[in-house]
Amino acid sequence: MTEKDQNEIIKILNDPQPLPRKVPDYMRRRGGMWYWTGAMVMFAFLYEVITGLVILFYYQPTAAYASTENFLNSTPFGSIILTTHLYGAYAMIALLYLHLLRNLFVGAYKKPRKNQWISGILLLLMTLAVGFFGYSMSGDVLAANATGVGKGIAAETPVIGSYLEGIFFGNGTTASLFQRMLGWHIVLVALIGITFLGHFFLAEYNTIMPKRSESNYRTPLVDRETSTYRPWYPYNMIYMVQIALYTFAAILIIPSVVVALPGVPTLFSPFPQVAAGTSFTGPLYPPWFLLFVYKAMDFQVSSIIDPFWATVIFAGAPLVYLLLIPFLDRNNSLSMTDRPVTVALGIIGIAYLVGLSIWGALTPALFIPDPEVLLFFVVIGVALFVLVELAIWSIKHRKTRFRDPAKVYILLAMTGISAFGTGSLAIPSLITFKPVYDIPAILLAMITAYLILLDIASMRTAETVRPMEPVSSDMKPVTYVLISAFLVFAAIVILFIITPLNPSVVSQEAGYGIGLGLLLFISGTLVKIYRKTEYGE
Amino acid sequence: MVETRKEPEKDNPADASRRSFLKVMMALGVGAVTIAVARGAIQNLIPQSVGTSSFPTLTLVNATTGAPIKTNDLTVNNPAAVIFDYPLQNEPNFLLRLGDSSGNDVAISPYNVQIPATGGTFKSPGGVGPYKSVVSSSAVCQHLGCTPPSIHFYKPGTTIPNHPGHSGSANTGFINCNCHGSTYDPYKGFSVVTGPTKSPLPSVILAWDSSSDTYAVNSMVGPTIYGHSDDLSGGNPLSSSSQADVTTISD
Repeated sequence: MTEKDQNEIIKILNDPQPLPRKVPDYMRRRGGMWYWTGAMVMFAFLYEVITGLVILFYYQPTAAYASTENFLNSTPFGSIILTTHLYGAYAMIALLYLHLLRNLFVGAYKKPRKNQWISGILLLLMTLAVGFFGYSMSGDVLAANATGVGKGIAAETPVIGSYLEGIFFGNGTTASLFQRMLGWHIVLVALIGITFLGHFFLAEYNTIMPKRSESNYRTPLVDRETSTYRPWYPYNMIYMVQIALYTFAAILIIPSVVVALPGVPTLFSPFPQVAAGTSFTGPLYPPWFLLFVYKAMDFQVSSIIDPFWATVIFAGAPLVYLLLIPFLDRNNSLSMTDRPVTVALGIIGIAYLVGLSIWGALTPALFIPDPEVLLFFVVIGVALFVLVELAIWSIKHRKTRFRDPAKVYILLAMTGISAFGTGSLAIPSLITFKPVYDIPAILLAMITAYLILLDIASMRTAETVRPMEPVSSDMKPVTYVLISAFLVFAAIVILFIITPLNPSVVSQEAGYGIGLGLLLFISGTLVKIYRKTEYGE
Repeated sequence: MVETRKEPEKDNPADASRRSFLKVMMALGVGAVTIAVARGAIQNLIPQSVGTSSFPTLTLVNATTGAPIKTNDLTVNNPAAVIFDYPLQNEPNFLLRLGDSSGNDVAISPYNVQIPATGGTFKSPGGVGPYKSVVSSSAVCQHLGCTPPSIHFYKPGTTIPNHPGHSGSANTGFINCNCHGSTYDPYKGFSVVTGPTKSPLPSVILAWDSSSDTYAVNSMVGPTIYGHSDDLSGGNPLSSSSQADVTTISD
């Protein structure tokens, strides 16, 4: 950061204007959602805190499983709160990954946002840890195993292992185990809250990251506020309300639909399984966001080096790499073509994470000999690296031109993941002919084919570079009035439908959850219409 | 408005070095506080150890009826996990009556069990009972601590998930952990058959009283029970000082 930028930031900070900062108008327009992935994580976190505090009134560490089941089945609205607390955590983790990847690919870790990036990676680590403790607190058969594995890995830490095990998991008795896990679940949430405040303050301090073209794809990318910016209140505040409503709507609707669906796989079941120590025949999965470490335990190499070191290599090393990115990629360009290694490693990282997770889900506890492990890592790594470097080379030397390179990268990454998924599913599908594998394999193959078509199309159209024409979707104001009136009418109908549902019957609660989610969605849409007609956003 | 704040006077070198000295002193002061607080916090957070002082001798009884377990109460090659906690409440153990593929009792002799993790060996106690076919071991997997029903006995000839080399006719009766696929041989002192575990299951030493046909548990031999610094600590002592309750987790 030059002294001039530093002075500018200090000047903006000392200006008596309210936090949070004003933002450029395009961040609230169509497609502006990509600038607000962090806000979505924040709202998911907020949802978790609120529902978590409610569950805290009922959860008993001395009767973990019984109190969880009781809350789920007998407490009014308990099922909605507990299942959405679980899926809210899933949403927070998924959104966190989205936020991380977006900022990785746009180069947001560069000057002046190094500390913001590092605090974000720490937030990822803490969020996964909170997720682990929360998942383990139900005391079901899967949680018991997950706890055992977590304990075992902690205890294997050299020198301080037994202390770590004691501090995090208690003295071995069941009562102290759940008391500690509840404690850490809350303490870590508090730490996330504090770290998030720092993360948020840094975002304000460094200014919100604008379009990279603002600084001609060069660091430091600082938003130089102009007088054309609309004030934070009411424009941005109302936009935040809209994002919050949509985020809450998704967190409520998805698990409620899952509750209503029959035969949901164990991995995505919104309910606890049977109690620990009772008969259970399904695969012993960890929570899905830890499937990649779980699969790594099946590797031949992992059985030689012990689970602790396997965790260090397969989960710790990527984390350390993420922390080091701002120190490794130091040039002053924000363009992806000038950051070929970081971009390639990011795409390879996605492929490893998704690949290992699918592998773990399909072949739980199947021993994998070292040559196969090597094949997985080397083939995917080398192939993707070469592909990405080739793509970057051809873009840089104007062999291929894209209107919007970012979109094409994302498209290519999605194609890669989808193709890999198809391949992984095709093998068991062809061997076993089980619908469990066949149907997703066919679906994924179709998605892959579609993505490849899109890839080709995006490259074709790019040959003739033409300016983007603004998509005009402006309707007459009266149409908006009619739509909003209809939405409110629908909301009232939904309210009438869900009010008589019994809040202590899980299936009816699922209906209530869907209805409530739809009400949130309608509210969000009403806010959107208001912004469109009144603010022209 | 123009601020009329007084600018700090230009430093002379002595002032600068005094300032850095004071800064270092401040940092050291805060450092001392941090060390003192961290020490207290960590020591406070490490839980008190719980456990018992010696292996008790307990009669095995049915948890529901309270009647002592007799040989006929045990099914040969029972696929359900028959377990009892010993020597602490969170230390489950298998109680197995082993047989061949046609369901006849097999006498189990003591076996020199290898511990791949350390390279050491120990002698397993062998079977007890009228047919010397009843054995017992810790039911906590030595790899990462999974417990029944995740880890259990697969009787001879049955399929073990994800273990083609040890399934069907190749299965001579193994204990397999479904968490990560570790396999143990109860006929050979619960020794390691396949990884990822590097340690056999600790054996439980049983005694059979021929006059009353009852079983008692005396102590344990082999590696330490998984997740414990020693067999006798890291859990609450059993509630009874005379009997150990045997329960069944159906398969």
